[in-house]
Amino acid sequence: MNIVVAMKQIPDLQQVRIRNRQPVLDGVPMTFGSIDKNALETALQLKEAVGGNVIVISAGTEELEDTVKEALAAGADEAYLVLDDELEHIESSVSAHLLAELIKQIENIGIILFGEGSGDNYSGQVGPRIAEILGLPEVGYVCDIELEDSRVKVTRSLEDCEEVVRVSLPAVLTVMADINEPRIPSVTQILKAGKKPQQILEVEDIGFDLKGDKKIVTLSSLAPENKRKQITVKNGEELVDALLTEGVIRR
Amino acid sequence: MEFKLSKEQELIQRTAKEYAEKSIEPIVKQIEDENKVPDEVIEGLRELGLLCLPVEEKYGGAGAGFEGFVVGLEQLARVSGGVGIFVSVVMLGTSTIAVHGTEEQKEKYLTGTCKGSWIPSVAMTEPDGADPRMLKTTAKKDGDYFIVNGTKRFITNTNFAGPMVVFAKDADTGRINGYIVDKFCEGYSISEPWDKLGSKGAFLSDVYLKDVKVPASNMLGTPDEGFQTLKVTMAMGKIGLSAIYLGNILAAYDEAFNYSKDRIYLGKPISQFESVRNSIVDIAMKYEAAKLMTYRIGYLADNTANKAKLVKDSAMTKIFVTETAVDVSRIAMNVFGSYGLMKDYKMSRIYRDAIVGPQIEGTANLLKTVVATDMYK
Repeated sequence: MNIVVAMKQIPDLQQVRIRNRQPVLDGVPMTFGSIDKNALETALQLKEAVGGNVIVISAGTEELEDTVKEALAAGADEAYLVLDDELEHIESSVSAHLLAELIKQIENIGIILFGEGSGDNYSGQVGPRIAEILGLPEVGYVCDIELEDSRVKVTRSLEDCEEVVRVSLPAVLTVMADINEPRIPSVTQILKAGKKPQQILEVEDIGFDLKGDKKIVTLSSLAPENKRKQITVKNGEELVDALLTEGVIRR
Repeated sequence: MEFKLSKEQELIQRTAKEYAEKSIEPIVKQIEDENKVPDEVIEGLRELGLLCLPVEEKYGGAGAGFEGFVVGLEQLARVSGGVGIFVSVVMLGTSTIAVHGTEEQKEKYLTGTCKGSWIPSVAMTEPDGADPRMLKTTAKKDGDYFIVNGTKRFITNTNFAGPMVVFAKDADTGRINGYIVDKFCEGYSISEPWDKLGSKGAFLSDVYLKDVKVPASNMLGTPDEGFQTLKVTMAMGKIGLSAIYLGNILAAYDEAFNYSKDRIYLGKPISQFESVRNSIVDIAMKYEAAKLMTYRIGYLADNTANKAKLVKDSAMTKIFVTETAVDVSRIAMNVFGSYGLMKDYKMSRIYRDAIVGPQIEGTANLLKTVVATDMYK
């Protein structure tokens, strides 16, 4: 069984600084989103439990060929990539289309794993879109997976409860950040990562036109401005008065 | 000329950083107080390949070369100077054996370290100092053995089983050679540990060798290669120390930079005062300079066939980086003010760790003599 993990290349968020409410990305190395790493860890644990092959898929700029070594060092067996420098800021529908085409090239797929949202935009759309394109069942917010022959028992972590479902394979699953703790790759594995197989495709190979009309243009993705009132109090009494005045508490 | 880590080196750096932050940082105080690197940390380092970074893969090492070694060790030492010294001494022992050891010696001692449970040491210094001409430890040939007698001072990792490369004078010829002694063999004993001012964690003691029987096959290299072996050891030790105190500089940099943004004085962060900003810029410049020298010596170690030739460059790097670490920790301490003096603050440990660097593996003054001798010869 092949276990496919979709991962998105993003700038290392720990190294991104903010200037004038805009991220400064110059010189920031690329990495994979943190929940994507949980998805990869899930795949590796499934492989350790029942065997199989872990295949990472991703679409991105030329740097992705290097970035994918992270996933291969962590234990993925091979990678299928679409590379094009135009793939730096693509909308979810384009990602879903490209990744779905990659998935079609892989045989004997059991599970297709995603993080519940990417590390940058966190739209959480690509997994469900791919399930729709490929006509596969999809389960989101997964916090536990148990393999049962040709299906899986999956626990979903919802806001006020957990839901347990069975789903037939192949299926698309999007996992939560707390499903596991991704392993730290060993140096030996890091040095072997570059020798693992990588299937590289270009956008033209997939027959997709990136220059087509963009359906969605992101105008702004800033957090709403939070104007603090900066009320200064000298003692507890003044604090209570201020909270009453602001309507935070009532007598 | 390229000033960029490869993706693999970037990932080695990240693995070392993540492991240090996750598994060492929470117990740094314990490591300091007990002056001991816990077994679970040693195993963690071994499993991730961080214990034997430059050792060839065929002996169970990571095969990351010395470029990978300096990049990884910097991150470990950024979190704990003691763990840094521990790992550096493992490198020192394995590298000395790797360069001048026979295939049998390498198979036994390198594999036993990288895959087994051994932790190597190197014993050069004696109570009178580390000048090879003043060595009093002797090795007397007796049939298929050498009988080694002497006292070694300030030796690291003496409390672990494994090989110890002991430098001794041949009792008959007066030539210096390295001999691999199995620690805890008959006649091997150690003192109580020394309690250092800083860089605590790696066990440091004196070693007493009384009629220790060393198989003749455990001599490193040929009898006339001993001085070359010693030069390799001297060079390798300085590469390790450069990476350790580069990590110390990075720690001081991180601490001072973050503190300058958080500490409020007169209603604004102290990072908005020009004098503090200048201090942070000074630290950043010194870090970059020290990093260039340290990464370069890693490159040279990977690309110099005769490692004995690294003595001058490794000495210059070690002098520069360790003295820079002292400068930087003083500047960083001034950013902190009184808080930096308090043991609850990491800055106090970084300061204590920094002062250790220039004093060990050859003081700066001694090493400048070594460099000058090479320059004027």
